[in-house]
Amino acid sequence: MSLSLFFHLVNLESRKLMSYRVDFWITMLVNLVVNLVVLWALWTAIFAESGAEIVGGWDLPGILAYGVMVFLTGRIVRGGDLQMTISTDIYDGALSRYLLYPRHYAITKYAQQVGNVMPDLFQSVLMGLVAIPVLGLSTTATVTPLSVAMVIPTILVAHLLFFLMSLIPQYIAFWADNVWSLSVLLRFVTMLLGGAMLPLSLFPDQVQQVLRWLPFVYLFEFPTLVVLGKVDFTQWYIGIGTCLLWCLVIGTLSVPVWRRGDLRYTGVGI
Amino acid sequence: MIKVRDLRKVFRVHRKEPGLAASVRSLFRRNWVDKVAVTGSTFDVNEGEIVGLIGANGAGKTTLVKMLSGIIHPTSGEAEVLGHVPWHRNDDFRRQIALVMGQKAQMWWDLPGADCFELLREIYQIPRDQYRKSLERLSSMLGIGEEMTIQIRRLSLGERMKMELIAALLHSPRVVYLDEPTIGLDITTQRAVRDFLLDYRRENAPAMILTSHYMEDIERLCERIIIIRKGDIVYDGSLERVIHEYAPYKQLRLNIHRASTLQPDSEVLEKMGQVVECTPGSICLRVSRAKVPEVAAELLRKYSVIDLSIEDPEIGDTIERIMAGRTGDSE
Repeated sequence: MSLSLFFHLVNLESRKLMSYRVDFWITMLVNLVVNLVVLWALWTAIFAESGAEIVGGWDLPGILAYGVMVFLTGRIVRGGDLQMTISTDIYDGALSRYLLYPRHYAITKYAQQVGNVMPDLFQSVLMGLVAIPVLGLSTTATVTPLSVAMVIPTILVAHLLFFLMSLIPQYIAFWADNVWSLSVLLRFVTMLLGGAMLPLSLFPDQVQQVLRWLPFVYLFEFPTLVVLGKVDFTQWYIGIGTCLLWCLVIGTLSVPVWRRGDLRYTGVGI
Repeated sequence: MIKVRDLRKVFRVHRKEPGLAASVRSLFRRNWVDKVAVTGSTFDVNEGEIVGLIGANGAGKTTLVKMLSGIIHPTSGEAEVLGHVPWHRNDDFRRQIALVMGQKAQMWWDLPGADCFELLREIYQIPRDQYRKSLERLSSMLGIGEEMTIQIRRLSLGERMKMELIAALLHSPRVVYLDEPTIGLDITTQRAVRDFLLDYRRENAPAMILTSHYMEDIERLCERIIIIRKGDIVYDGSLERVIHEYAPYKQLRLNIHRASTLQPDSEVLEKMGQVVECTPGSICLRVSRAKVPEVAAELLRKYSVIDLSIEDPEIGDTIERIMAGRTGDSE
């Protein structure tokens, strides 16, 4: 696929979403307020109850910053929560249209997914500018211009990894029609094991050791630690490289699943 | 341009009995059945030819079109379109075909036509100059103007279909599949679409396969038809030949002076042919083609005729009879 087509698709998709103004602003405000309130209430209570100043290597402002950042970066990584578009295309026959075009289907969907991220990216930056001063500064986490520069490519590869991880569960729609439950399961598992709900440093040591070998950590925790300045250059290179390796492995695994599923496609709905 | 040899498609479908108990049972055990959609089709379509694919609902027309456009894989058999196997989905093949579906919007619902076309320009890598000329020509042929800047979902059905046609033909495909392109459209728009397709064929000479339930589409656009019944091709030939082959009779209609002393008698008429109507002053007889001159002469001799007409049966009726498996003049 040519770069100009890729960016054309990104552009169209983001324009489409941002044309719904009411939805755009309400989504942002509700998400921001609910998350700030929940994070603050939860972690204030935990710190007050434990009486400790540091929990799992984090002080209260630090863990609040982690909560906010993992929420903001996570929204971008998940690509606007549209990870069911492929299974929906298979289910309702909209895939047929894409099969007619002389372009690679998965890459086309990825371009659309990137386009879907744009409103989230814009919102996340705005929310970050509001949330960080409200939550205060931490001694255990700091956002610097360098950490912001480092997090941009980190989020890009994390977004690609999430897209590729969602391919196989979505291709199951060739056999099962409705894969909504799989999509929910994927989201829950990736968020839990990827550190979107809790920093992984709060998990038992053995679990942490296992999780370091899995791809989930690169989706949410790794980009968050990068933006909070907790990852040095060497760790960053290795992290990005490992994430790309996972992209390659998972992308390769998805190819035979697509080929088998494609043979079963009936184009129902047309 | 299109070669199809013994193409067959069998779908495996889940059969579910009605009711709650059956729904619960189906959670544990499913009842699968094979449904033959297309049974070994063989035919060719040449450049500049519009072939009408006719059949009742569920006859297998759309399945055949889906296979020939590469959307689905066949169970067995072969097909070659522009030298490519359609379901291999070679980019060179996909750049040269188009599929228009009357029952399914293929454009981006939330975008205006102009944005959709610009995206298609990128997808098909149409040079800007050629794109501009093509868009101008197609939109003027279909009478599309300011509708181009309105979101697709806000357009009327007829306007949407015109947009779909522009979208499908922008890249000047050499093979065009039209699956019920006039369904649900008003008579004026149907006519506009038919005229447009004829003009497009005249200028570009693509091979076209058209499915439609409207006989007017078939009669206006197709010289050749393929009739499918339960996945099987039961007729492949010219529209004209179908009448001679499957309706080897003509209808003789006579108006007779009511004042005449000799009025038609059905017993006498039955010896000449099949009586369709026999009332005082009016006769309609179905007579085998070979006997038409003889019967017409006898009727003219016998009755005081005001008016005589000799007609072929309605083509739609003939095709309907073939689709239903009732052929010949035996009924």
